[in-house]
Amino acid sequence: MRLLYANRMNAIKSIVFIFTLLFFLFPTNRQLKAQEGKDLFAVCAACHTIGGGKLIGPDLKGITERRNEDWLIKFIQNSQEQIQAGDKIAVQLFEEFNFIPMPPNNLSDDEVKILLSYINNPTGEAAVLQPTTEIVEPKEFVIEPAYMKKANSRNYGTIFYLALILLIIAFSDLVFTRIIKAKFVHIITMLISVFIMGEIIVVEAQSLGRQQYYQPEQPIAFSHKIHTGQNQINCLYCHTTASESMYAGIPSTQLCMNCHAVVKSGTTTGTKEIAKIFKSLESGKPIEWIKVHNNPDHVFFSHAQHVAVGKLDCVDCHGPVETMDLVMQVNDLSMGWCIECHRTQEVQFSNEFYANYKTLHEDLNSGKRSIITVDNIGGNDCQKCHY
Amino acid sequence: MKKYWQSIEAYNSLKNNHEIAEDKVSEFSVEGMSEEEKKGETSRRDFLKMLGFTVGGAIVAASCETPVRKAIPYLNQPQEITPGVANYYASTFFDGNDYCSILVKTREGRPIKIEGNELSPISKGGTSARVQASILNLYDNNRLKGPTINRESIDWNTLDTQITEKLQLLAIQNKEIVLLTSTIISPSTKKMINDFLNTYPTAQWITHDAISYNAIRKAHETQFNQAVIPSYDFSKAALVVGFNADFLGTWLSPVEFAKQYSAARKLLNGEKTMLRHIQYETTLTITGGSADERTPIKSSQEKTILLNLFSTLSNSLKGTVYSLSDSSVNVTALANELLENKGQSIVVSGSNDIETQLIVNAINNILGNYGSTLDLAHPSQLKQGNDEAMISLMERMKNGSVGGIIHYNTNPAYNYPEAKKYIDGLDKIELSISFAESMDETAMLCQYVAPDNNYLESWNDAEPKIGFYSMTQPTIKNIFDTRQAQDSLLKWMGATQNYQRFIEKYWEENLFNKQSTHLIFKSFWNQSVHDGIFVSEEKLSANYSFNEAALKATEVSTKKGLELFLYEKAGIGSGNFANNPWLQELPDPISMASWDNYLCISPSLSKQLGLSTEDVVSINNKFEMPVLVQPGLQKDTVAVALGYGRTSAGKVGNQLGTNFYPFIQIKNDLRKTFGSNVNIEKLEGKTYPLALTQTHNTMEGRSLVRETTLDKFTKDPASGNEQHALDAAKDATLYTKPEFTGFRWGMAINLSACIGCGNCVMSCQAENNVAVIGKKEVRNRRIMHWIRIDRYYSEESDNPSVVHQPVMCQHCDNAPCENVCPVAATPHSGEGLNQMIYNRCIGTRYCMNNCPYRVRRFNWFEFANNNDYDYNMNNDVGKLVLNPDVVVRSRGVVEKCSLCVQRIQEKKLLAKKENRQVMDGEIKMACQASCPTDAITFGNMLDPKSEISKVNKNPRNYHLLEHVHTLPSTSYITKIRNKKS
Repeated sequence: MRLLYANRMNAIKSIVFIFTLLFFLFPTNRQLKAQEGKDLFAVCAACHTIGGGKLIGPDLKGITERRNEDWLIKFIQNSQEQIQAGDKIAVQLFEEFNFIPMPPNNLSDDEVKILLSYINNPTGEAAVLQPTTEIVEPKEFVIEPAYMKKANSRNYGTIFYLALILLIIAFSDLVFTRIIKAKFVHIITMLISVFIMGEIIVVEAQSLGRQQYYQPEQPIAFSHKIHTGQNQINCLYCHTTASESMYAGIPSTQLCMNCHAVVKSGTTTGTKEIAKIFKSLESGKPIEWIKVHNNPDHVFFSHAQHVAVGKLDCVDCHGPVETMDLVMQVNDLSMGWCIECHRTQEVQFSNEFYANYKTLHEDLNSGKRSIITVDNIGGNDCQKCHY
Repeated sequence: MKKYWQSIEAYNSLKNNHEIAEDKVSEFSVEGMSEEEKKGETSRRDFLKMLGFTVGGAIVAASCETPVRKAIPYLNQPQEITPGVANYYASTFFDGNDYCSILVKTREGRPIKIEGNELSPISKGGTSARVQASILNLYDNNRLKGPTINRESIDWNTLDTQITEKLQLLAIQNKEIVLLTSTIISPSTKKMINDFLNTYPTAQWITHDAISYNAIRKAHETQFNQAVIPSYDFSKAALVVGFNADFLGTWLSPVEFAKQYSAARKLLNGEKTMLRHIQYETTLTITGGSADERTPIKSSQEKTILLNLFSTLSNSLKGTVYSLSDSSVNVTALANELLENKGQSIVVSGSNDIETQLIVNAINNILGNYGSTLDLAHPSQLKQGNDEAMISLMERMKNGSVGGIIHYNTNPAYNYPEAKKYIDGLDKIELSISFAESMDETAMLCQYVAPDNNYLESWNDAEPKIGFYSMTQPTIKNIFDTRQAQDSLLKWMGATQNYQRFIEKYWEENLFNKQSTHLIFKSFWNQSVHDGIFVSEEKLSANYSFNEAALKATEVSTKKGLELFLYEKAGIGSGNFANNPWLQELPDPISMASWDNYLCISPSLSKQLGLSTEDVVSINNKFEMPVLVQPGLQKDTVAVALGYGRTSAGKVGNQLGTNFYPFIQIKNDLRKTFGSNVNIEKLEGKTYPLALTQTHNTMEGRSLVRETTLDKFTKDPASGNEQHALDAAKDATLYTKPEFTGFRWGMAINLSACIGCGNCVMSCQAENNVAVIGKKEVRNRRIMHWIRIDRYYSEESDNPSVVHQPVMCQHCDNAPCENVCPVAATPHSGEGLNQMIYNRCIGTRYCMNNCPYRVRRFNWFEFANNNDYDYNMNNDVGKLVLNPDVVVRSRGVVEKCSLCVQRIQEKKLLAKKENRQVMDGEIKMACQASCPTDAITFGNMLDPKSEISKVNKNPRNYHLLEHVHTLPSTSYITKIRNKKS
């Protein structure tokens, strides 16, 4: 992959090109399926609603009745082209919506049609999206998830000290005070307390360096619950490189500005937190987030492998982020946890890449295997992650 | 079986039919150990100390809070950057000596690796060790951090004002301003210099090369009326005769020549003929080592031999015949061979001697090589240094007639033979400026230093040959407060445009009209920057006529004493990269010594003087130097490498070895690297340690390298490889055979192609974050290189035949290392890789002990963040070169070649994302990708159509130590020499 360095695009408005990153959300060789309309709309949902009122862009309810299809296809594919060509409706829309351009979308005509038919008839509740300005707190977000209970039950400290005190009491009675005559009582008590302490030490030692339930305060009170839970913004809208690179990517300040150029006041913190974004932009200092999910240096982990190839959901590893105001590491990210998943997770074996694995294909066809798991194709080899 | 020997001691024992003595040096160094430790005892106190430390350490580790790690995104993410995904930019390497078209791999905007540019018709995707290592120069903490005046830092504005004022004053006073540069091959820079000369009419432009090639240009001027160096095409030749021209290692354009040369010598696709190479040389070089026939000659004899050769040829071809003078070498056979290959041969000489070069040209002319293998229409632009101009400059400097001097990419205070005079002359100059990247010897003496950008931070263009253009583009913003030299000159000329714009303008005005593909300049420019190259149709007029000039071979006056021959090492070259620890630690491909230069003496001389390697001699009673017994060196000659003895190169390069530039002779207005005489005297009892990386004496009777001759090969392709069939017949095992599905990676190395240049070692070092450990640890045999190039000698010690064999982890299916690891830190992968898992390794080193190939490396110390190993991994700037995909290993773990598993994984992931299979040849190992001889093949052995499967079926294919039944995934292809019998 070679890139032109010569043609640096300093001059182009940064908003425009951050938007262009959205390209990546549309793999070109995508198979056309009717239900993909919903997926396609996930990107649009960052700025548009269907029947939920204006956001950054117009409410799209009934759009096919307002405009003709050819115009829509052209405009969705590349709105700037239309505007520059002087299309009256396009220019008017551009002015009406604060000159925020809609990024060009790398969609075929057919894909746009699928998208439009979805907008015409969004099925299921989730499709009726709520605008940001309304405070909606559906019940399921309030329920405390199961992992939180687990977090509370892991305070072993008290038990450890109780066991230690028991051990000391039993030992001193055995040697000095001798209140209880039957010695086996001491011995059994001591053994039990030593066992309890030992187990706690082992469990604690194993989790050394791990950060399960790590939930640091962030420099900005950014809430995933509001952004991805309530507003249904696709994870990949901000974490743009998760399907491309080993890193999921923390959004740049400019990317925040895509929406917050318009949304200047939040629902819970008002302008206080959002103002920090503007401050970062003005001062030229990027926002220093605290990293929640850390892998040791000797681990090579690729998001692209898991997201783009393995087709895993973000929540499979990161937990129900859409319910968290402050992100917490839900899983322990231990090697055992990785391996366990590799043993059970089915590989997307229809990927042409795996055509090489002839014996596995034979096994699959002959019924010798019902599924191909990650470890069948060497996913548990050490050097898949450690090099 | 042919007997191989690796050192002179081994050779002597072979000669005397003695069993080769066991290696005397103990396996582990005991330097600095207490008596108890030497015995291998651990005292009770030590045990308690360690116990206490372990417990204490564990407590401290347990009580530490997890560090807070930050994730800092871009403020405004550049469009072309995807964090975690590498970008490649085409660019050009040119350091004043070597040219190479390259691709620069950048991660998150930081260059980390150099690959060859396959689009280039010159370097064709190859690089050299120096090109690979040049990436580390970018991150040299020793570089100047900003402009200085008299070694005090100032800001650029003050510097510009002061210098412009002074330059204008000198121009008014009508005093000479000298612009002293290295060879410049950039057409834009040349134009800019001309503009500069027009702005300051008293200015003079003088080109100075550290190692001069001036005689070739002068000879062509005499005979062809064109002061050029022709371009040589070894791929068109059937016979190459080299005279002291190390064209595969250092001479003129080694990458280009190595590509052409090796392509004609691989014999993998059923060819029946191969390029024949005969070399006459003084000291043994990799070029001589690769030759089919090699004859050691005294460099002073060279022109006599050449004149005899010319006369013999001339005699048959009815030309001028010169009376034959005495010569130790019979040239009749050579002349006959050349006559058989008329018009498809090349004769080259590396001597900077006008008489020699005139004879060489006459020979090439009489053989009709001009126009076929030698091209005068597309002459090389490299090495434009003018010795005469330099001599007259010295004169003018002495007179005080020079008012100002500007040094660009040149360091005469170090590498001019009369450096002392130069330094004195510099004192008399009112205005002295240097563009040096670091405070080198010349910059130290200059008033102003306006530090230049590294080439990876610069815009530039290049024209290494007429009509072949090449582009340099910045791949990183300048790290320090430096400014490109061209921009400085433009500023001082009062020009408002910057150099980038200047190049664009030059290309628009001069090159755009030389192509017809692009209609708009912008598209032509973008294409050229993208590709890194542009080839136009232009050439010099093909109408050259040969002016017969009287040839002569004036006897070089031979004073008493030994003749001194000066040569360049493939890694260090002329010494401009002396502060590069990778290059310093790269063992010389022939002597296997790193970190030093030394006096090479021939085996017979060593016998005569009672000298052996590491003994110290005094040279001309002036200074002392260690000796190294170098087989193949002409017996009346001693040889020393140039490029050492820097005094102001930087922390790494200072005071390594001795500077021999003062021994270059200036005769007939030319600088010669031979001809001076030295007296040497043994200093009894005095020794100096040399860091040799290969000292083991023998192959222990096993055929590690296998070779044959072309004659035998044409009769039986498996000749020389008979052992393979014998070993294969004994293939039986108690173990279950490993089974693979999907992939089984394998590698093959063609010994016929390998010239031992060391590019793969440097490429691997850059790719895999291999640590530099310094001279002391190299001596302790702890060198960390994942790939080493073994060098074997055979036949006579006066003129041995040489084979190079790159050895890295062989990735055995039946790996002896795997089953001795007590913690399973080195298991086998399902794709045939022998994996090394650092975080699991506890450092027992059982695997190293059990590895028959000695390819595993142990981290005896922490090599990063350790002041004892103060190289690039000990400072923040130097660490920027590290490959983020590969772990930096810590103390106490074993490491080794991983078959670039990060590259395999990267391309596999790419294929998965694109829903396709991995293509054959898509995954390239670091050592393979930029190999200038394409000696290495890599691929999936389960795919019967893959290149590696084809190579593995070749009858020349064999494995190292097949009889041990380790079943390696790496194989070798026998070497073929183009010889009778």
